[in-house]
Amino acid sequence: MSTETTDVPLREKLEPYIAIIGPMVMILAIILFMLAVEPARYFRLSNMNLILLDAALYMPMAMAMTFVITQRGIDLSIGSIAALSGIIMAFLIKQYGFSVYIAVPIALLLGALMGLINGLIITRFQVPDLIGTLAMDLVYRGLALVLAKGLVLARFPDLLTDIGRGQIPGFIPIPVVIGIATMIAGYWLLTRTYFGRYTIAIGSNPEAAELTGISVNRHKLYAYVLCGTCAALGGILLTGKLNAIQATSAPYFNLHVIAAVVVGGTSLFGGRASMLGSFAGVLLLSMMVNALVTLRMEFFWQSVASGVVIVSSVALYTWMQQKDRDGAGGWLAALATPDGQKTLRFSAAIIGLLIALLALGGIFAGDPNPSG
Amino acid sequence: MTEPLVQMRGITKRFGGVTALLNVDLEAHAGEVLAIVGDNGAGKSTLIKVLTGVYQPSEGEMFLDGNKVSFASHADAIAMGIDAVYQTLALADHLDPAANMFLGNELTRTVMGIPMLDNKRMRSETERVLMERLGVKLKSLDAPTESLSGGQRQAVAIARAVYHEGLRVLVMDEPTAALGPQETARTLKLIQNLKAQGLAVILISHSLDDVFEVSDRIHVQRRGQRVGVVKTADSNTQEVLGLIVGAEEAA
Repeated sequence: MSTETTDVPLREKLEPYIAIIGPMVMILAIILFMLAVEPARYFRLSNMNLILLDAALYMPMAMAMTFVITQRGIDLSIGSIAALSGIIMAFLIKQYGFSVYIAVPIALLLGALMGLINGLIITRFQVPDLIGTLAMDLVYRGLALVLAKGLVLARFPDLLTDIGRGQIPGFIPIPVVIGIATMIAGYWLLTRTYFGRYTIAIGSNPEAAELTGISVNRHKLYAYVLCGTCAALGGILLTGKLNAIQATSAPYFNLHVIAAVVVGGTSLFGGRASMLGSFAGVLLLSMMVNALVTLRMEFFWQSVASGVVIVSSVALYTWMQQKDRDGAGGWLAALATPDGQKTLRFSAAIIGLLIALLALGGIFAGDPNPSG
Repeated sequence: MTEPLVQMRGITKRFGGVTALLNVDLEAHAGEVLAIVGDNGAGKSTLIKVLTGVYQPSEGEMFLDGNKVSFASHADAIAMGIDAVYQTLALADHLDPAANMFLGNELTRTVMGIPMLDNKRMRSETERVLMERLGVKLKSLDAPTESLSGGQRQAVAIARAVYHEGLRVLVMDEPTAALGPQETARTLKLIQNLKAQGLAVILISHSLDDVFEVSDRIHVQRRGQRVGVVKTADSNTQEVLGLIVGAEEAA
């Protein structure tokens, strides 16, 4: 190994903070980029408020998802849980005249119940988390559609809209207060309670956790219940923010929240959790989405950007986990190996064929006939 | 010698039609290291799993300090002062050493009626136990356990077992299997320390060198039966190897 020995202690010192440094660098990059391109509109106070308001929606869910992912799990049903509990709450308020003070706790408990069902399916029936929550996502979304049909439920009492978009005069919006409070509670749960400690232990080494007498299944269940409850809170915040809810609301919650957590340095392979990282991740994604809007990009690019951020950050963390980063002679050296050559030829064949077909189609193209 | 601290008598364990242990006796005294050796499938692991309450014997009885005991689970055995350090160590690599040492048995303090983990006290206790009982000082207690060396990880796993004040019998399953020579020497030193503190240490090992260096007596298992117990001081590798492979019988 010919690496300079001086930077090793530095790297070792930085290692624990990499979770924060990653998203912070990206946030800084966005800030610098927007300073150069569009400072006037991006750095307005009202726009800062918008970013925070958007981020607040995802904070409770990112907090809960941090626990689920740290336990080597995943919850793909939070978007539907948010929609279904929001819809039921809306019906209770609009159709049955329930007080908001009662309807909101009911929605939270419904979320907890749906999380409990997820957790029981995973721990009792041994359905893998990916399939189990994906299937339950269909179930909850379907139930929401059955209940609400195409209806948009709108115009709620002031209390609910205050929760979703109210502003403390001269200070930050109320949902931001709620969001940050849940993140702080999450940090406390992670570092100071049995639940948090066992969450890390289960994700780090499930067999060891079992051997030391930790009830693995019970603590997994807790994480899913927390996730369901926070998803319902997300649904409530969304309903309040838009002053409307429908069955197809919150379609992008799942990936957005998972992206925020993963970007924040929580490992998809379990055991490594960073609540501060999840907070930074949520902030980063909201800033990114807002930047896209400010730059007048089409809304649909959001999905592309989220996907790219997930893939690149997971790849980056995996690379940083490797002990021997320069042993193989770097990236391009891998292409020179026989196996790399075969992969290269295979990729080239696919791309080449695609280009050839496009060319062929272009050469023999007739008159366009618009479908409209 | 005096009355053995732990005694197993006529232990038989069957799994369906397979007899893993047949009428095995075992005695271990306080302040001694008893090594259990034998080929793969000789019943070493089954024997210690019966002793630590993971398995329940089909027949036979166990005595601790002269009193008959039976364990329904591993937790029962721990409560009676018998614990084991597994070959895999059962450590959560992402947690720091203090969190690992208290895993499943955390210290708490109550703040406004809510029990909270007392990370500070767990850390100082870890430092104390590692130093006082094992003579080990870690460079940093903040680093995750995965950054420790094999021997240090071993020390943390042992510290977890010995932290329990009532611990009297410690079973160690292949503690040196994954260690280099230097780390092995250190682990053997740890075993000597524990022995000096009056624990009965039961050591399972494939390495006869280690066994001869650290043990007082050697219990040889073959095909589910005890084929002999020798005093380490009066024996040699040749004799023990003969017992393990069954050459003595044939001769």
